[in-house]
Amino acid sequence: MTTQRMWREHELQDQYDVVIIGGGVHGLATAYYLTQLGVRNIAVLEAKYVGFGGSGRNTAIVRSNYRTPEGIAFYDLSVKLYEQLAADLEFNVMFSQHGHLTLAHNEKGVTGLTERANTNQLMGVNSRIIFPEEIQRIVPDLNVFGHSRFPIQAALYHPPGGIIRHDAVVWAFARGVDRGGGHVHQKTEVTGIEVQNGQVEAVVTNRGRIKTKTVLNATAGYAGLISKMVGLEIPIETHPLQAAVTEPLKPFLNSVIVSSTLHVYVSQTDRGELVLGAEVDDHASYSLRGTLSFLEGAATHLLELFPHLANVKILRQWAGLCDMTPDYSPIMGGTPDVKGFLMTVGWGTYGFKAGPASGFLMAELIASGKTPPKLEPFALTRFYEDRLVGEKAAASVSH
Amino acid sequence: MTSESGTTQPESIEFEFDGHRVHAESGQSVAGALHAAGEHIVSRSFKYHRPRGLLCMSGRCPNCICTVDGTPNVRICTQAAKPGMVVKSQNAWPSVKFDLLRIFDKLHRFMPVGFYYKRMYKPRWMWPVWEKFIRRIAGLGTINREHGAEGVYDKQNLFTDVAVIGGGLAGLNAALAAADAGVTVTLIDEQSELGGHLRHDPDLAESIISRNALASGSSASQPDASAFRLISLSDLIRRVSEHPAITVISSAGVFGCYEGNYLGIQQGQRMIRLRAAQVIVATGCWERPLVFENNDLPGVMLASGAQRLLHLDHCQFPGEAVVVTDNAQGYRVANQLKAAGTRITAIVDVRDNPPESADGIRTFRGHTIISANGSRHVSGAVIAPLAGHPKQTLSCRWIVQAVGFTPANSLLYQNGCKLRYDESVDQAVVIQHVPSMYSAGAVNALHDPRDAALDGQHAGLAAAESLRSPRLCGETEPSIAEATQRRGERKEDSVPSCHYVSPSGAKKKFVCLCEDVTEKDICDAIDEGYSNIETLKRYSTVSMGPCQGKMCQSASIAICARHNGQSIAETGVTTARPPEQPLPLGVLAGRALHFSLVRRTPMNAWHEKAGAKMGDAGNWKRPQVYSSVDQEYEAVRQRAGVIDVSTLGKIELRGADVVKFLEFIYPNRFANLKVGRVRYGVICDDAGILLDDGTIARLGDDRFFLTTTTGNADAIDSWFRWWLAGRPEWDVRMTNVSGSYAAMNLAGPRSREVLKKLTDADLSSDVMPYLAASECQIAGVSAIVLRIGFVGELGYEIHVPSQFGLHVWEAILEAGREFSISPFGLEAQRVLRLEKKHLLPGIDTDALSNPLEADLPWIVKLDKDDFIGKESLARAQQRGDRNKLVGFRLSEFVVPDLASLVLCDGKLGGRITSCGYSPAVGGTIGLAWVPANLARNGETIQIQVNGRMIPAVVQDEPFYDPSGSKLKS
Repeated sequence: MTTQRMWREHELQDQYDVVIIGGGVHGLATAYYLTQLGVRNIAVLEAKYVGFGGSGRNTAIVRSNYRTPEGIAFYDLSVKLYEQLAADLEFNVMFSQHGHLTLAHNEKGVTGLTERANTNQLMGVNSRIIFPEEIQRIVPDLNVFGHSRFPIQAALYHPPGGIIRHDAVVWAFARGVDRGGGHVHQKTEVTGIEVQNGQVEAVVTNRGRIKTKTVLNATAGYAGLISKMVGLEIPIETHPLQAAVTEPLKPFLNSVIVSSTLHVYVSQTDRGELVLGAEVDDHASYSLRGTLSFLEGAATHLLELFPHLANVKILRQWAGLCDMTPDYSPIMGGTPDVKGFLMTVGWGTYGFKAGPASGFLMAELIASGKTPPKLEPFALTRFYEDRLVGEKAAASVSH
Repeated sequence: MTSESGTTQPESIEFEFDGHRVHAESGQSVAGALHAAGEHIVSRSFKYHRPRGLLCMSGRCPNCICTVDGTPNVRICTQAAKPGMVVKSQNAWPSVKFDLLRIFDKLHRFMPVGFYYKRMYKPRWMWPVWEKFIRRIAGLGTINREHGAEGVYDKQNLFTDVAVIGGGLAGLNAALAAADAGVTVTLIDEQSELGGHLRHDPDLAESIISRNALASGSSASQPDASAFRLISLSDLIRRVSEHPAITVISSAGVFGCYEGNYLGIQQGQRMIRLRAAQVIVATGCWERPLVFENNDLPGVMLASGAQRLLHLDHCQFPGEAVVVTDNAQGYRVANQLKAAGTRITAIVDVRDNPPESADGIRTFRGHTIISANGSRHVSGAVIAPLAGHPKQTLSCRWIVQAVGFTPANSLLYQNGCKLRYDESVDQAVVIQHVPSMYSAGAVNALHDPRDAALDGQHAGLAAAESLRSPRLCGETEPSIAEATQRRGERKEDSVPSCHYVSPSGAKKKFVCLCEDVTEKDICDAIDEGYSNIETLKRYSTVSMGPCQGKMCQSASIAICARHNGQSIAETGVTTARPPEQPLPLGVLAGRALHFSLVRRTPMNAWHEKAGAKMGDAGNWKRPQVYSSVDQEYEAVRQRAGVIDVSTLGKIELRGADVVKFLEFIYPNRFANLKVGRVRYGVICDDAGILLDDGTIARLGDDRFFLTTTTGNADAIDSWFRWWLAGRPEWDVRMTNVSGSYAAMNLAGPRSREVLKKLTDADLSSDVMPYLAASECQIAGVSAIVLRIGFVGELGYEIHVPSQFGLHVWEAILEAGREFSISPFGLEAQRVLRLEKKHLLPGIDTDALSNPLEADLPWIVKLDKDDFIGKESLARAQQRGDRNKLVGFRLSEFVVPDLASLVLCDGKLGGRITSCGYSPAVGGTIGLAWVPANLARNGETIQIQVNGRMIPAVVQDEPFYDPSGSKLKS
């Protein structure tokens, strides 16, 4: 069997039609769909290695049971693209659609989930409220009827939701870009963007200057820094989001379980590890260190849902950076101030699950110059025009 | 010698392994007992189900993972055997001795690295089928639903000047030096007794004293000979144990070093959180295995593992052994095995001219091991010169390897110290510590006992010293120069061989024992493009298993470097992350059965006695209903009722600038609020979004009393502090008095008469009209009384010190008895307030609601000076309302679920936020968000109820007492 390289290394050209900053799922997906649209003289610039940032640190949950019609339509497209991704990219990204349960432990929670179920159904997304007996049937190990401080009252059940092998998605997109004629440049850090008369002219990197008329900011954690290179301020606050993984256990948990009252979510991979996480850290920070209080909180809350896991051991904790916007929704598209500068940023805690949709629609925008309707609600200008997207209310632990 | 000597005759105990009985000496590990009993296959590997036996005996490798008494994934080498214990092997079917899934080992050709990414996805329906199969065979231990929750855990918080991690020679010396310098020291050690690896290497321990005699003559490297003394290990341990300034925490592992030298320590089922001013990492090293063919066969052991079995578990190695080595440790272990009765077939030394020699043992120099023979246990070793030829086979039952170490440096990495791989010592060494952190001993590549001891003393003194004059980041560290110099001096007689992989093209050369990743897998992955060490890890899964790279990190980096044509230093390392050792969730969670605090008001016992149905409101318990919502409703509307509102957030503000602060925080006006008056207010964020509501009472010129909703009490406290933090020049003193006051709301047409019986204060409407705030005595208790009416009746919100809450509550009920007063719960309150169209923040509003659209336009005073959200609200006012919160009445007699949708032409128009039957209206009423064009009195909206559209009529006025005359009566 001859070894095929996933992606090749190239010399940095001095001109590209499109330069994409950020070698995560958003940048690579956009690049891949651009090559599919025939735009091939493109480069993805990654400061470290593909999947270094959020794409390698997220907990790989995919779902579309959002709250607002804008959000639902967008993520529904993403789920559908994910469903066909393995075939499209000829790489098994292991999308396991075993269902996603969001638990409610109080009346307010039930109301919030009911609203989402109603809106999901209105938009044609498979999602419904289920009650304790059915929850127990789907997740036999869950503490539904045993002693609990905040007993489970209902859940939003979303059968198409699930988990995916996030690294595989990144690698497969990178290979797709490579095969489509695009260049993936790792260890290539952007140090500046040149703008003349309100038009992007070039990108400066540690490996040289690239002439280009179109730049896409597809970074996280550094989105504000890149935008500042063209003099643009974007409303983003960066918070760490932490996660942890346990030792492998024989699989017993097929669904993704999320509880915002208990600030915890958990899933079990095909390797048998439990992956658990919580909401973003309270305070803005760029720290990737992880805290003990996160581990204590996540363990405490996980044991409330699964008391018999007390002897299960944590192997590793880590942190990633989440760029939070005021309405917990991303910023996609251009800006009237700088021509040729586009962004897909502010992906908070919901970026990975959106990767293909964001890439697909951003590619369409770049190739055609027209904003697809599904992108319109997420324009940067919404913050100036007071047209926020109402996902925040549903977002506290929205994985 | 080890401390086990001199104890009483070990008593024999019995436990069960896979259904049969095994004898163990008391104090012996489970693994030791199995070894003694001849049970050498203790687990099966993750992917190929190859038989695995004991390797490291220190709880670091994955080979001995079993289920013990129902707990999955327990390392039995560090688990003491206990009578009646039930030990079961894992990940094997039908048994660990005969595992049918070993077929995967034969099929390895079809399962190359990352094969699952390349197969099983076509056609699309195949993946779920495959996945089901994979999920059946994946994972290690099995959790037991009936078991696991019964453990008792606890937590402890400690503080120390200097924390020393590791009780080996370096750590002991560091602790003693620091303590003698006058600071308090906490020494944390993972073993049950101090001594580090000297515990199982008695020859090395004894050598300290003889070396000491040697060293005293020529001590050029000692800057101050008088300050450093080497004493025997037993003396050292005794002095450390007896030192009044040293606390020893044994059998405890530091799993994390978090920001600010905050150490997480696991000691059995206890978690200790230790805050240390200075940390000394003296964690030593663990031995690394060599990568050769069949290197995972039972019978292949690490030298230190064999030593632990020999000296700590009193086991033997019957038969012949081959020792593969590149250092002095190999010769010591060969002699120790020989002394214990093992025949040493040969020592295979990688080096051409080793300084060591072994009497009477055949030694092959410049040789290494090529493969282990055998299928279930070692039967021989194939050795060859380093070039790979010619090969010869030696018969043996044991292959013991002593080929170098991996430093236990993850805590240094975690805390941000800079390390670099140094080829001259074949180990990463610190090139810069972070302030308040030091390292000492073998982790600094100082393996000689004397060097380690001196390095420890240095670190101990330096740590004590920097408590007096803190070291700054980037400052030159004498200790690093010191260690470097000492390492340099040792070079001649201990040049490391950097020998990680034996030369052969064989396929089953395991690098990662957890995940069955071979040398070939790693090379193949790199060839496919996964050349970065992190990408390589994620693709090949090397170092992702239970040992988190402890056994495989050194070799995988070396192979990666070689295959990429880079140096090891260039290749880098994967990020070190907590926990250093696997950490049970129960230990992290601690002892609490109820994982969230339960808060009860001072009147809680009364409510329960009265038979109230209690419900959760955040962490609080609150009465939902006592006996009947209808009766409680009727009491309030007709006579008098009282509700416990102690859960409200309460904040007291004092100071000359409080008015300025309130004007800034709230969209409405407070400058004109007179003393003795109370006003309703909402709080908005910068985007003009309504966060919370409450009342603000002015009790004096500079003294205000505020309430928040129950759910937002903490958030608003933080919110105020956040804004005050940036305004230190403002004279605003804030006290959160939420828990200090009990509160109750007395409401109903007769409430004035009830209260009159309990106070001398004049309650008449002239003196105490609607929205008056007063301080007076109620039932003999100083109280703050606010005349407000959330439920729409004449009413008083009475705040009294918590300890008198129950007294006043009972006094009110007693005084009201003649008026047939009734306590009422949240359910009645909800109907009462809904009839008044009073919104509940967070229920009737969401993260997009501003007060203009939430039917509170009157509250926003845009002509004020700047306040939080002003700009956003001004813009929102300019653009006009898009959606509005409105009241509605249903003509049909149904009560829709909350969150039912309001549809306009089949599209989402809004949603219901509150809804219920109103006795006053005699029908269903509610609040809903609707598009602004429908928010007109009398407009019909369509609500989706069970798939059917139900019409409802928008109503501007409150549903009860629209003029407010009852409120103001």
